[in-house]
Amino acid sequence: METGRKTLKYIFILIILLILMVIVASSIGSAKIGLKDTSLILASFIPGINHFIDTARLDLREIVIISQIRIPRIFLSIFVGIALASAGVIFQGLFRNPMADPFVIGVSAGAALGATIGLVFVKDIGLLNISTTTVFALFGALATTFLVYGISRIKGKVSVITLLLSGIALSAMLSAMTYLIMIFKTHDMAKIVFWIMGGFTSASWSNFIILAPVVTTLVIISGFFMRDLNIISLGDERAAQLGVQVDRVKKILLVLASLIAAAAVSMSGIIGFVGLITPHILRLLVGSDHKILYPTSAIAGGIVLLMSDTLARTVLMPREIPVGIITSIVGVPFFLYLLVKSKRQIF
Amino acid sequence: MSGNNSILSVKNLNFSYGKKKILDNVSFDVGKEDFISILGPNGAGKSTLVNLISSVLKEYEGGIEVGGRNLKELNSMDIAKMIAVVPQYTNPGFSFTVTEMVMMGRNPYISRFGVERKEDFVAAGTAMEKAKISAFANRKFSELSGGEKQRVIIAQALAQDSSILLLDEPTSHLDINFQIEFINLFLSLNRKGEKTIIGIFHDINLAIQNSKKIMLLKEGRIFSFGRGEDIINRESIKSVFGSDVFVGRNPITRNLYVSPVFNPATDRSIAGPAVNKYLKVHVIGGGGAASPVINLLHSSGYRVSCGVINTLDTDLDTAQMLGISYVNEAPFSPISIDSQNKNLRFIEYSDAVILPTVEFGPGNFSNLVSVKKAVGLRKKVIIIDEKGIRKRDHTGGKAEKLYRKIIKDGAIVVKSVDQVLGCL
Repeated sequence: METGRKTLKYIFILIILLILMVIVASSIGSAKIGLKDTSLILASFIPGINHFIDTARLDLREIVIISQIRIPRIFLSIFVGIALASAGVIFQGLFRNPMADPFVIGVSAGAALGATIGLVFVKDIGLLNISTTTVFALFGALATTFLVYGISRIKGKVSVITLLLSGIALSAMLSAMTYLIMIFKTHDMAKIVFWIMGGFTSASWSNFIILAPVVTTLVIISGFFMRDLNIISLGDERAAQLGVQVDRVKKILLVLASLIAAAAVSMSGIIGFVGLITPHILRLLVGSDHKILYPTSAIAGGIVLLMSDTLARTVLMPREIPVGIITSIVGVPFFLYLLVKSKRQIF
Repeated sequence: MSGNNSILSVKNLNFSYGKKKILDNVSFDVGKEDFISILGPNGAGKSTLVNLISSVLKEYEGGIEVGGRNLKELNSMDIAKMIAVVPQYTNPGFSFTVTEMVMMGRNPYISRFGVERKEDFVAAGTAMEKAKISAFANRKFSELSGGEKQRVIIAQALAQDSSILLLDEPTSHLDINFQIEFINLFLSLNRKGEKTIIGIFHDINLAIQNSKKIMLLKEGRIFSFGRGEDIINRESIKSVFGSDVFVGRNPITRNLYVSPVFNPATDRSIAGPAVNKYLKVHVIGGGGAASPVINLLHSSGYRVSCGVINTLDTDLDTAQMLGISYVNEAPFSPISIDSQNKNLRFIEYSDAVILPTVEFGPGNFSNLVSVKKAVGLRKKVIIIDEKGIRKRDHTGGKAEKLYRKIIKDGAIVVKSVDQVLGCL
């Protein structure tokens, strides 16, 4: 009762923030559109509300800019943010480790190698309208995840330490292979580096339509394991005593979080910080109960990445900065400020 | 034993880690009203047994039945509804509030897709009241003291509403006030018929005093299982723990108590100056005054005898517990000529005689006479005088006079028990 109400309150506030952020992000860009017009244009897309809006008064050019250019990118960044923050919460909970992020078991290095191979060696294969780079990145991320997972499975149990170590080791090897390709294909180096730094410059509806349902489904399924995640953080033995099927839940969550992270990284490249620090910020605000932390972090991850991407495309207009640079340069000082100000023990 | 009152039944339980056998054919039954303590040295398999019963470990041979149902056929949630564990430590990876921690105990009652219902809040509230943590329900678990944290964990286990409570050394790292508080809580839960309790306790005396039955585990097997009165004795403790202990009775409660015998002579690392193990020392007893020195000499490796002491005297208990020779006299009776002669014979065979700070009256004046004779026999006589002879002379000066004479004739006087070893 109490927990539920508290969760709903936080989620409500965050969704309001997210909507405001969507309006702001839709309005700013190289073509400036007023906030009022932006709001009306956005409202005109919503079934049920659009009857009340006089679309004839709206500028058609602005409608096209918002609906075809800005909204796909905004939604993609929100969903990647949701994915990264959700995977971050799950990995930090499973590993009982504040250093864990969505890429902790090597997803990013696998995706980077896959993307590099796709960029350098393969012509566009045009599968499901998704870019070849994305397909290869997804394949690289999944292959790495299952390899690391396979290595760490001992007698049906997954060893967390082995998982972390094999993830780090395999990441190092895969990164080395990426660099090797880069030095042989120097003329592709800029493309590869730009992909790795992460961003949404090539965002399109087709990417979003694939990503959104996958991420939404996986994130919601994972949400049903948050009580278990709370209890698992007391230690495996204690969790078993409290009726949690520790090994099974761990396996399920590892697979789900890895898939979420792989989906995100294949769409947007490697965007650091969001998945690591968003859960920490939310822990300072809402506490450590994963039942509240998980949904709020997910929405907050969407807000954070949308804000970062908006900055990334507008701060040095017309030049774009890779969003990963923004998340780190702006986000880290903000997090450090919260950390010093609150002086609360979150771990 | 496995009547309809049985709530837990373990049959031919075997468990190994790799090739190492941890539990070897363990069988026992637990009744609903039982409070059982499992005792045994480290590595005897106590924690493994608890982990098997609570289904944390699952790969075992043999059968475990809870409430008549095979543990292997139950899912983890059902098991957690019947069996709750209070572990030694709990260290959450995150900073949860006290309420959040206690609510985790309701996990077996909440389905994956459900939320906490009213009865879960009621059960958690009741558990918090029993564990006396309602006052800090909203505090952070990580900010509590060790004892308060353990109260929260106990509440977590109570929130499970299980019929069996397994205790895995729940008080071993806590101060005595918390030990007493928790034991009282467990006892009252047991007496009200709410919980069957099976516990591992670090402290043997805590276990003996409070449990209805004791299980002694040795190298993965049950050494003995029954009432403390029947199975706890010097020999059983020696063979299970390999330690020398006194098993006596608490003078107030008449409960059994076990207390270790420190034996520096057999442990080279803590041995003081080398002692002559063959030196025979006779100690004059009476009113408990001799017990400290008897214990000191015995544990230092001397061959000790004692006399003349009255039956029911503390010194006699000490002599019996340590298994040393003694001369005794009927309770509250003056020392007879016969006993005095026996005592003198001990003195003759001894190398040294020790006179502790004994009170002298007409009944035991003859002990002082025997000491005088010891001096005459040129035995080494050591007098421990902690409060002066005048205060403890109840013979109208007779004892004091003889006492002074003994000193004059060459007895060594020391001020405290610990100086005795230096004079031998």
